[in-house]
Amino acid sequence: MPLATEEMILNMGPHHPSTHGVLRFILRTDGEVIYRCRPDVGFLHRGLEKIAEMVTYPQFMPYTDRIDYLAAMNCNLGYAITVERLGGIEVPPRAEYVRVMVAELNRIISHLISVGTFALDIGAVTPFTHALREREWVNDLFEELCGARLTYHYFRFGGVAFDLPDGFLDRVTRFLDYFEPRLAQFNRLISTNKIFKERLVGVGVISAEEALGYALVGPNLRASGIDWDLRRDEPYAVYADLEFEVPVGSPEFGEVGDCYNRFWVRIREMEQSARIVRQCIARMPEGSHWNRSKKKLKLPPGEMYVRTEAPRGELGYYLISRGEDRPYRLKIRTGSFSAMSIVEKLASGIMVADLVALIASLDVIAPEIDR
Amino acid sequence: MEAHDIYKKIQRIVGDGDLAWVEEERREPYLMVPREKLRPLAIALKRDQDFDFDTLMSLSGVHQTGDSERMEVVYHLFSIRKRHRFTFKVELDRPPLLPHFYLRLDTVSEIWPAAGWMEREIYDMFGIHFVGHQDFRRLLLPPDWEGHPLLKDYREPEAYRGISTTREQASP
Repeated sequence: MPLATEEMILNMGPHHPSTHGVLRFILRTDGEVIYRCRPDVGFLHRGLEKIAEMVTYPQFMPYTDRIDYLAAMNCNLGYAITVERLGGIEVPPRAEYVRVMVAELNRIISHLISVGTFALDIGAVTPFTHALREREWVNDLFEELCGARLTYHYFRFGGVAFDLPDGFLDRVTRFLDYFEPRLAQFNRLISTNKIFKERLVGVGVISAEEALGYALVGPNLRASGIDWDLRRDEPYAVYADLEFEVPVGSPEFGEVGDCYNRFWVRIREMEQSARIVRQCIARMPEGSHWNRSKKKLKLPPGEMYVRTEAPRGELGYYLISRGEDRPYRLKIRTGSFSAMSIVEKLASGIMVADLVALIASLDVIAPEIDR
Repeated sequence: MEAHDIYKKIQRIVGDGDLAWVEEERREPYLMVPREKLRPLAIALKRDQDFDFDTLMSLSGVHQTGDSERMEVVYHLFSIRKRHRFTFKVELDRPPLLPHFYLRLDTVSEIWPAAGWMEREIYDMFGIHFVGHQDFRRLLLPPDWEGHPLLKDYREPEAYRGISTTREQASP
């Protein structure tokens, strides 16, 4: 006698530990296979865009930390550049290099969380503790720099809030000397692990066409084989003077656009970020760290869409000024938002366990979706 | 292609009609498009080999107040293959009476799938309806939330399902 089968509605979240913030999925499943997945987002909606219209330009800087709390430096950077471009504010060279250095360090620790939780979601617990141990070191460095370990509020219009403490660059070098071999160890432990690869290769494949259509950005886009990085292709700050490679997904590592390629692109990006940080240290100019203005900041009327490459891809600020001391409108476009919008399409027909891998591989983070 | 060359070619494709090319200081040049022209324009920008706009970078709503009440929807497009960008805006009237009746715009979500969620967010925040959208509902706020927060005349409800929205009232 055949077993009776029927569809089941499975509620995943909003507190599921593998969903990277508070996310919820309503799954209609047939056994282990999903045939409809409806993401339910908005649990972390704090109305950042509305707040932006209520507070002055400098007052909004700490809120940008909370857009993506794993990459607060990068969110600061994008906002600072937007306001500086519209207001014609100059940034001294030392500040530019400090900015790129902290942004790349932040990219390393953001990717560490990403690949660590990725392994955790797949069921490998140990690599996560390793990733967090490495991250802790950078947290200590940032704490020394600005007093905060997560939401830094380190950027100011025209520079950064504090100059580097004595011997800071040596300590960053020491971290890199420690980190690079550790990354190789991490790869031996998990990235080249056969069980791990079998779980991910060929799962959740996103074609280049889909990736462009859903406006995927950053590592997710590059894993689908599209060679595009704002740091290289639309350089801002001092990226034009720095040498680095842009890792792109390739059939060498599985199927282009699958979960494993997204994982592997991030691992290789960390290597490149370490390389960028070393160049910043070598070239760090002397001079002022902050071109500080005593005047109350008012931007001239105008509008601008400025995008930078955050760890989760393109972070765009669309700023409209009406000549006041606060934005008339500030739209924040984030990488996780578009990454999350493709989940519904990709999830139909895959196993529940693979959905966990898919979400982890897209590296979505709820505060960035919900803002 | 430069933005202005793109505009010149658009004129040839969708007709000069009511298009307005705006170049101002401290603004990326943009094209003002009447709402009837949105779909033919979007299709041309996506399909035409010279444009090849494969990515909708960002979609934003703006509530413009002042001399006239109006809503703007801003489309920031980018072509990764051709490495050029283009911005256009669609303007909607928002008369004080029946404000929501006029806030209707065709969807572009089947041209750029990314627009699916972006349009839902704009509906959530501004109350603009996108006609033809396959899964049209609120995105970030609960389905029974009242009002659209990013409107300039938005008033936050005092309570949501009996839960106060202010801190003072929450403490006994």
